[in-house]
Amino acid sequence: MLISLNWLKDFVDIPASANPRELALKFTTTTAEVDGIEHVEPNFTGLVAARITNVERASGEDMLRLVTLNAGKQYVTLSAAPDLLAGKTVVFGPPGATVGGHTFGETDPAGRKSQGMIVAGQGLGLVQIGANALFLPPGTEPGAPIDWALFDDWIIEIDNKSITHRPDLWGHYGIARELAAILQSPLKPYPITDPALLRNDALPEIAIEIDDPMLAPRYTGLMMRGLKTQPSPLAMQVRLALVGMRPIDLLVDLTNYVMAELGQPMHAFDGAKLANIQVGLARPDERFTTLDGVTRTMPPDTLMIQCDRKSVAIAGIMGGADTEVGAQTDTILLESANFDAATIRRAATAMGHRTEASTRFEKSLDPANTVLGIARFHKLATDELPGVESASTLSDCYPAPRAPNPIELDCDFASRLIGSTVTPESATDILTAIEFTCEPLSNQSLRVTPPSFRATKDVEIEEDVIEEIARFIGYGNIEPELPRMTARFFPSSPQLAIEQRTLDYLCLGNDFVEVYNYIWYEDEWLKKIGFDPGECITLHNPAAEGCARLRNTLIPGLIAFAERNRHHHARFQLAEIGSVFHHGRKDIEAAQHRSLGLVAAQSGARSDGELWNRMRKILDGWGRQVLEDRVDYVETSASHPWEDRDRLAALVVGNEEVGRVTLLPLACSQRIDERLRSWSIAIAELNLTALSERHGRHEKLVAPPKYPQVQLDFSVLIDATQRYSAISKRIAEFEHPLLKRLTFIESYEGKSLPPGKRSLTLRAEAGLDDRTLEDKDVSGFQDAFRSFLAGQSIELRG
Amino acid sequence: MNQTALQDLLVRIKADAAAAIEASESIDGLRAAESKLTKGPLAEALKSIKQFSADERGSAGKAINETKNAVKSKFKAAQDALRSANIEGERKRAATFDPTMPPTVSQQGQIHPVTAMQREVERIFTGLGFAVVGGPEMETEYFNFEALNIPEMHPARDAQDTFWLTNGWLLRTHTSPCQVRAMLRWGAPLRVIAPGRCFRYEAIDASHENTFHQLEGLLIDKDISVAHLIAFMRLLLREVFQRDVKVRLRPGFFPFVEPGFELDMSCAICEGAGCPTCKKSGWVEILPCGMVHPNVLRHGKIDPRKYTGFAFGLGLTRLAMMKYGVADIRIMNSGDLRGLVSPARLSGARVS
Repeated sequence: MLISLNWLKDFVDIPASANPRELALKFTTTTAEVDGIEHVEPNFTGLVAARITNVERASGEDMLRLVTLNAGKQYVTLSAAPDLLAGKTVVFGPPGATVGGHTFGETDPAGRKSQGMIVAGQGLGLVQIGANALFLPPGTEPGAPIDWALFDDWIIEIDNKSITHRPDLWGHYGIARELAAILQSPLKPYPITDPALLRNDALPEIAIEIDDPMLAPRYTGLMMRGLKTQPSPLAMQVRLALVGMRPIDLLVDLTNYVMAELGQPMHAFDGAKLANIQVGLARPDERFTTLDGVTRTMPPDTLMIQCDRKSVAIAGIMGGADTEVGAQTDTILLESANFDAATIRRAATAMGHRTEASTRFEKSLDPANTVLGIARFHKLATDELPGVESASTLSDCYPAPRAPNPIELDCDFASRLIGSTVTPESATDILTAIEFTCEPLSNQSLRVTPPSFRATKDVEIEEDVIEEIARFIGYGNIEPELPRMTARFFPSSPQLAIEQRTLDYLCLGNDFVEVYNYIWYEDEWLKKIGFDPGECITLHNPAAEGCARLRNTLIPGLIAFAERNRHHHARFQLAEIGSVFHHGRKDIEAAQHRSLGLVAAQSGARSDGELWNRMRKILDGWGRQVLEDRVDYVETSASHPWEDRDRLAALVVGNEEVGRVTLLPLACSQRIDERLRSWSIAIAELNLTALSERHGRHEKLVAPPKYPQVQLDFSVLIDATQRYSAISKRIAEFEHPLLKRLTFIESYEGKSLPPGKRSLTLRAEAGLDDRTLEDKDVSGFQDAFRSFLAGQSIELRG
Repeated sequence: MNQTALQDLLVRIKADAAAAIEASESIDGLRAAESKLTKGPLAEALKSIKQFSADERGSAGKAINETKNAVKSKFKAAQDALRSANIEGERKRAATFDPTMPPTVSQQGQIHPVTAMQREVERIFTGLGFAVVGGPEMETEYFNFEALNIPEMHPARDAQDTFWLTNGWLLRTHTSPCQVRAMLRWGAPLRVIAPGRCFRYEAIDASHENTFHQLEGLLIDKDISVAHLIAFMRLLLREVFQRDVKVRLRPGFFPFVEPGFELDMSCAICEGAGCPTCKKSGWVEILPCGMVHPNVLRHGKIDPRKYTGFAFGLGLTRLAMMKYGVADIRIMNSGDLRGLVSPARLSGARVS
């Protein structure tokens, strides 16, 4: 929201010496965040008001008009500004006047005879007015100089998100109130027509009916006659434009002006078109056309303003087209109402139509402001047009008046919560400056009543009052101090432990770079790699089109990263630990788990074997170091496009499949990019959540053998297509009293072997705990192992 | 064997020794040749001593011993000579060995800057007796909003533009859901931090991401105050940046704290001069915080009359940007090693 410093000065005296930037900073540290502050400076000299006396088409160009003006003296100028008509008064720069450093003369830039210039709003920095002339009220004296001071202002931008809880700060008067407390300077009374004068029994009453005071606590209306369609005073136009609202005409500008001061939205109906008011819910599927010309279906529970039970406006959102004020309007019905915040917000959100009014109503406005708004409007209107008169008495429907609830403040509790001494006196000083009332209850407690404009939701409990005290003490003035704490043990999370150890192992020890990816798939990319993830959890409002599905595996994202990085690096390894999501689970915990994804990439298609071995070594080491458990590789069939059906294994820990490892097949890398052909890419993914419970299973250490053991190597000959995992399972069944350990040494394929065969070398360690082995023990063991292999039909080599 | 034959044998042994030394190129060769002589002819000579008469034995033994010692010392000298030559040769080879050369393949392994930041903050808080917990990235509306005193239709939901899921759940907009989860699990007193990823439905630019990390902190005990909160936050930033950091506290509205603040730190990218990261203000919001709202304590089944506490939501991603000098937040989720890995690790050693 934009705030004008000049406007604030209407309500609070700001010392001339005060630096606006420091003021803004003070506001930020005491009240709400100032996003920016900008000095607006007048860029003109010698501008005057001029009445148009004649407008003719200039010869040659369509848009150009030859305009005769009276500015105390007659001028004839060329202008392309729209809506120039005889009788209107505009801001004019006669020859000799300057705008933006340019001096007007007797000709236009093209050299045609044209005295001075009709100045456009944007020429003076009022971008809201655009290329239109600045029209002035009809009573303006021709030749009167344009006030320079109106254009000399500071515009302060307040972060809207920082005032969602403060309906009172959605206008200049509320901001001025805070500033007054900060500066310890009095707040001037809000200039209004005394509401008592507006209650006139001699005038008719508007019949107002509220169906449900919970949804519409208050509705106030006043009929007014004599408001003409004419430009607002320049001061009002400049202020509105500088705070981002486009000046339109006096009636519209007045409602906007009051809204910019008080935060109270108002609406003017054509008084000839309605005579009574009801506030009630829309009929089911009711269609309604608002004054922007759009017809919408009203969502359920939308609150409507009705006349004779026919809708004339969407409460708190926008007026209807049928009752819109027009040029012929003589009498208006001015609405100033209070609606339930959630009701307005729900309706505006549901119909996708959030307006300046609804933005304010959804903040829970003060019901007292309905009367205040009308009284201010009346004051401004009659100041400008003394002929304006009321056509009704001030009609106010407020079935269940709300009074702020007093709150008990314990100053000891306040001192303990802030960590700084609060006395009933210091609390009273601070709170009364922001219009809270304080009565002593005991020597340490006060009965505090917030003002109505703070009591709609913002200040309800003791802690809310303490915040008011703390921010005026100043957070910078509270002495920091570490607390005394109760000793307590909290067990650590196994999930976080496994994640941390995994990253340490991979990144600190094994040359992986940790990366983060988005948690949603990009449909385009999935198409490219040829992956259909099946049914996924989807976003209702994705960040971009084609990004609605939540990932159920990390691998597509990691392959994308690999593709991105291969342009710059010849070899790299990426690791990601992240959440993946599963469709169709009822339990939210079961619908997501933490996954570990690994990609090792190296240019040179022939490094497949090397890369595979490296990945296996890493996974093996990970099992040993992080899980303190063994990772087994089990044959499985390919189920993803990045899996090579021949070079693929399921990763098994303790009989549970927890992941997969593969090499990126040529078919997939070629789909992505022809140049990836010359790369080797190894891929693995593991379910860390499933593994986190296993973490910390230590293997016991064993004492060194007392008697020497022998190592006996055996090589077995198998078909080259046979899997180690199948053979090893069979060999592992061998039992013998001498056998201590059976380990895998190497696999060999080569010319010395029969074609289609490979050899696996195994090492048996044999020994006894009570004596040294003798030759016959060893040969007995060898014989037993050989006959075991023969029994298994496993061929021993050589 | 007679005297003459023995003399001949000993002369031959010496000659053989000289020839063997000449022929040997290695220490092992010398050892083998020596052992062949000692076990062969020399042993034979020694054995023959029995064949001599008693008065001849003395001089024969002496001659054999002399020869044996001479052979032994010759071999030793030859071995020593060869050792020195080996060392010399090794030295010559070593002259071209350059121990100052950097390795050609660098270790690029690195944890993510945000994870590094997270570890550092975890270290600080575990040192203060805090537990570290995780929490689900896909959350329920209850934990993300309602339990945190943000009812439906509360305008504060605007500030946290939410990614909604078609199944009715959402992507958590902050790590704060971990507050009530931790309260329900452990009760008071409580000290816990919860690092993790958060998601907001907003447009991405150099300083805004829809996916970023926060670290939630929560301390609940008897008589916890704003002064304690400020002390913790200063300690945190001093530890992270290893120097006193300029900070600013100002009111901030978050329905789950009362009072609530924003803690800003002087922008470390531009040193407070103003840059796109800090929206030209010189200050960066990194820490919304405040005293836990009594309603939130109640949702966590903790009695607000017995306990008070503070909570904060540290912007880990932003803090990492400050610490590691990352000007563009988009780098963090880009997977681009050029931006994520320090140049020293990424390429070989810099020539200096």
